[in-house]
Amino acid sequence: MSAILELKGLTKCFGGLTAVGNVSFQVKEGGISGLIGPNGAGKTTIFNLITGVYKVTSGDILFQGRSISGREPYQIADAGITRTFQNIRLFKNLSAFDNVLTACHTSAKYSILESVCRLPRYWREEKALREKATSLLEIMGLSDRADVVSSNLPYGLQRRLEITRALALDPKLLLLDEPAAGMNPDETKDLMRLIGEVRDRFNLSVLVIEHHMDLIMGVCEHIHVLNFGQSLADGTPEEVSNDPKVVEAYLGGEGKKSC
Amino acid sequence: MEYIAGIAILIGINLIAVLGLSILTGFTGLFSFGHAGFMAIGAYIAAIFTARLHLPFVLAIAAGAAAAGFISWLLGLITLNLKGDYFCIATMGFGEAVRVILNNIPYVGGARGWESLPKLTNAWWVIGLDIVCVIVTWNLINSRHGRNLVAVREEELAAQMSGINVFRQKMIALVISAVFAGIAGALMANYMQYIRPTMFNMVKSTDLTIMVIFGGLGSISGSILGTAILVSLPEVFRNFAQWRLVIYGLAVIVIMVSRPQGLVGGMELTPSGIRKVMSARKAKAALAAETKALEKRGEI
Amino acid sequence: MNQFFQQLVNGLSIGSIYALMAVGYSLVYSIMNFSNFAHGSVIMLGAYFGFFCLSLLGLPFALAFFVAACGTALVAVILERLAYKPLRDRNAPFLYFIITAMGASIFIDNGVIATIGPTPKTFPQQLLPDFLKSGTIQLGSLNIGKVDVAMFVVAAVCLAALVLFIDFTKMGKAIQATAYNMKASALMGINTSFVIILVFAIGGALAGVAGVLYGMKYQVFPQMSGITMKSFIAAVFGGLGSLPGALLGSLLLALIETFVSGYLSTQFRDLFSFGILIAMLVIRPSGIMGKSAEDKA
Repeated sequence: MSAILELKGLTKCFGGLTAVGNVSFQVKEGGISGLIGPNGAGKTTIFNLITGVYKVTSGDILFQGRSISGREPYQIADAGITRTFQNIRLFKNLSAFDNVLTACHTSAKYSILESVCRLPRYWREEKALREKATSLLEIMGLSDRADVVSSNLPYGLQRRLEITRALALDPKLLLLDEPAAGMNPDETKDLMRLIGEVRDRFNLSVLVIEHHMDLIMGVCEHIHVLNFGQSLADGTPEEVSNDPKVVEAYLGGEGKKSC
Repeated sequence: MEYIAGIAILIGINLIAVLGLSILTGFTGLFSFGHAGFMAIGAYIAAIFTARLHLPFVLAIAAGAAAAGFISWLLGLITLNLKGDYFCIATMGFGEAVRVILNNIPYVGGARGWESLPKLTNAWWVIGLDIVCVIVTWNLINSRHGRNLVAVREEELAAQMSGINVFRQKMIALVISAVFAGIAGALMANYMQYIRPTMFNMVKSTDLTIMVIFGGLGSISGSILGTAILVSLPEVFRNFAQWRLVIYGLAVIVIMVSRPQGLVGGMELTPSGIRKVMSARKAKAALAAETKALEKRGEI
Repeated sequence: MNQFFQQLVNGLSIGSIYALMAVGYSLVYSIMNFSNFAHGSVIMLGAYFGFFCLSLLGLPFALAFFVAACGTALVAVILERLAYKPLRDRNAPFLYFIITAMGASIFIDNGVIATIGPTPKTFPQQLLPDFLKSGTIQLGSLNIGKVDVAMFVVAAVCLAALVLFIDFTKMGKAIQATAYNMKASALMGINTSFVIILVFAIGGALAGVAGVLYGMKYQVFPQMSGITMKSFIAAVFGGLGSLPGALLGSLLLALIETFVSGYLSTQFRDLFSFGILIAMLVIRPSGIMGKSAEDKA
C-alpha cells in the first residue's frame, strides 16, 4: 500500500519558537492513522500546515506523491484533503442541510452567469447537488435533523455534521482534529464505529488527532507521537504503547486516559 | 401625487445600491463605508456621457456601472486581503478619497458641483432596473455562488477548507456591489439633474449600510423593506428639517442597541423563506422534545 | 529656509492637536478593540464647551479648559454606557459598534446644529490670557505664533501626565493589563468595568483639550467632527492601540500634511492623508509601532 500523505522533515517556526521540528511520517492509503501528543505538541499546527493555513518553514508535504506545500487552502481542499476543527467551525446560522449543500459546490460547475440567467445547466446541477447533500445526510444519520440550524444541534451531532460537511468534497484524505472532544464513552464508541464506516464506505484515508486513548488505540492502525513539536515514536498502537519514551512522556503513570 | 412618485423613484434608485451592498455586507459579511464613492463614480461618468458627450442614456448607465466595477476591482486587489476591520477602514478612506478627488476636478464641476444635467431617469428606467437587479441578486444568492458567499461570512476558515476561494468570492461580491452602486449613481445623476461631491460623502455610505442592516442582514426582502422605509421616512419629517438628522442619529443608536437583526432578521419574506423558518423551528422543537424525553428516561 | 521652519512649526502645532486626539482614540482602541468614530463629535463638543465657558460664563481661562475637559469626559462616558456597553454585553460584531458610533456622531453633530446653530464661532481674543493672544515670538529670524507654542506645550504636558499616570500608578497598570487581556485582568480582580469607564473618560478629556486648542487656533463649528478621520489615520499610521505610536503617527501625519500643503497644494493634502492610510493598511497594517497577529485554527 502506498502512502497517500507523506510529511518530510516538516518544520514550522513562529519567530523564535519551533512549533514543529523536522517531523516525518506517512499515512498509508486507505489507512487510519493517529497523531497524538500532549497539548501544545504541534498536532493542530501540522494540520494547519497540511491544509495550507500556515506556510511551511522548511520540509515538504506530499499528497499522492505530489508536493502541496505552498498551495492555497482551497486548492488543497479541492485536491482531496478536508478537515474538521478542534473547536467546531460549522456555518452556525445555516441549517444542517445548508452546511452540507454549501460544501457540495465543487460537484457543480455552473458559472455565475448561468445561475443569474437560470440556464438549464444551473437547474440540472443544482438538483444533483441537493440530491448529493440529502444522501450524505442520510448516510451519516442526520436526515431528521436536516432543517435544524446547526448551532442548535447537540454537540455530538454538530461534530458528526462537520464530518459530513468534510465528506461533501469527495476527499481522499480526511483530517479529524479531536473529533471526540467533549464526548462521553458511548458517544466515543459511536464515533469510532463511524470513522471506520466512513473510511470503508467512502474509500478514503483518515488522520486523526486525539486525546481519547480508547479511540486512538481502538481505531488507528498506525500512530505517530509528537512531543514539543518533535517526533517521538511511530508505529502500530501496540508498538507505541510499549515504547518507553512514549510511556514516559505521555502515557506513563497516568495509565489510560478517560474523560 | 408627483411628490409620492418622486419618493418612489428615490426609493427605487437607492434600492439598487442597497441590493448591491446587501450582497457584500449582508451575505458576504464585508462592511464598506465607502460605497457612496462607487455611486459617485457611476454618477459622474454617466453625467459626462449624457451632458458632455450626448450619448444615449443606456450607454451612460453601462459606462458608469463599468467604471465603478473596474475601480472596485482595483481597490479589491489592494484591500481584500486585509482583515475585516481594516478592510472597512480602507473603504472609508476610499470613499473620502473619491470625494476629495472629485472636489478638485473642474471639468466635472469641482466642489460646487455640476448642474443642469439632463433629466433622463423616469419611472420605467427605475422600475425596470429594480426588477433586473432584484432578479440578479436573488438568482445569485440562491446558487452555489451565493452559498459560497454566505460561507465566507459565516466561517471564513471553514469556507477555505471547503474548497472555497475566499479572496475570489469577496472580489465577486465587491465588484457586483460596486456595479450596482454605479448604476444607482448614474440614475441619480440624471434624476436630480445635479451632482456634488458632498452628496457622496461618508454619511451617504453609512446611510446605505444602515439601510441594509435595518432591513436585516442576509435578506433581500429585508433590504427592499428597509430602503423603502428609510428613504421615505425623512420626507415625513421634512418639516422638522433641522431635527430630522438628530432623530435619525438617535434612531440608529436605538436600532443597533435594541434590534440589530433588523426588521426581518436573516429570513426572506417569501413563501419559501417563511417555510424555511417554520421547518427550522419545528425541527428544533422536535429535537428539544426528544432530548427532554431522553433526559427523563435517564439516558442523558 | 524660513518657510521650512515656519511649516515645521505649523506642522508640530497641528501635530500636537492630532496627538491629543489620536492618543485618546488609541487608548480606547487598546482596551476595547474598536474604533470610536464618535470621537470627533466629542472633540467638537470640547471646543463648544470651552467657548461657552469663556464667553458665556466668563470663567478664567485655565478653569474653562478644565471644565471643558470634564464635560467631554462625561459625554464620552455617557456615550459608552448608553450606546456601546449594550453592544459589548451582547458580543456584537465590531462593525455594529462603528454604525452606532456614526449614529451617535450624527446625533451629536446635528444636535449642535439644531440648537446652537451652524455658524462658526471664534474664541474671543480679549478673554484669552496674554500668552495666548495672537502674536508671535521672535526666535532669531523666525516668527513663531504664540498660539502654536502654547498648543504644543499644553499637549506635551497632557501627554506627559498621561504617560506618568499609565506607567506609574496602580490604575495605570490596571489599564495596561486590561488592554493586554481583558478577561484575564478581570480574573485577577481588576474592575474592568471601571477601567473601561476610566479609559473613555481620559480619552474624552484629551478630546476636550484638543477641541479647545483647535477651536482657539481656527474656529468652533459643528463640522469639526470631521477631524476624527485625521486622528484615526494618525492612530493607524502609528499603530492602532499603541500610544507612543499614536503620538508618532500624529506628528508625522501633521508634518507630512503641512509640507504637502505648503509646497504642493492644499488640495492634495487630504488626498495624501488618505493615501497614507491605504498605503499603511496594505503595507503594514499594524502601523509603525504596532504588532501583528496570526489567526489560529
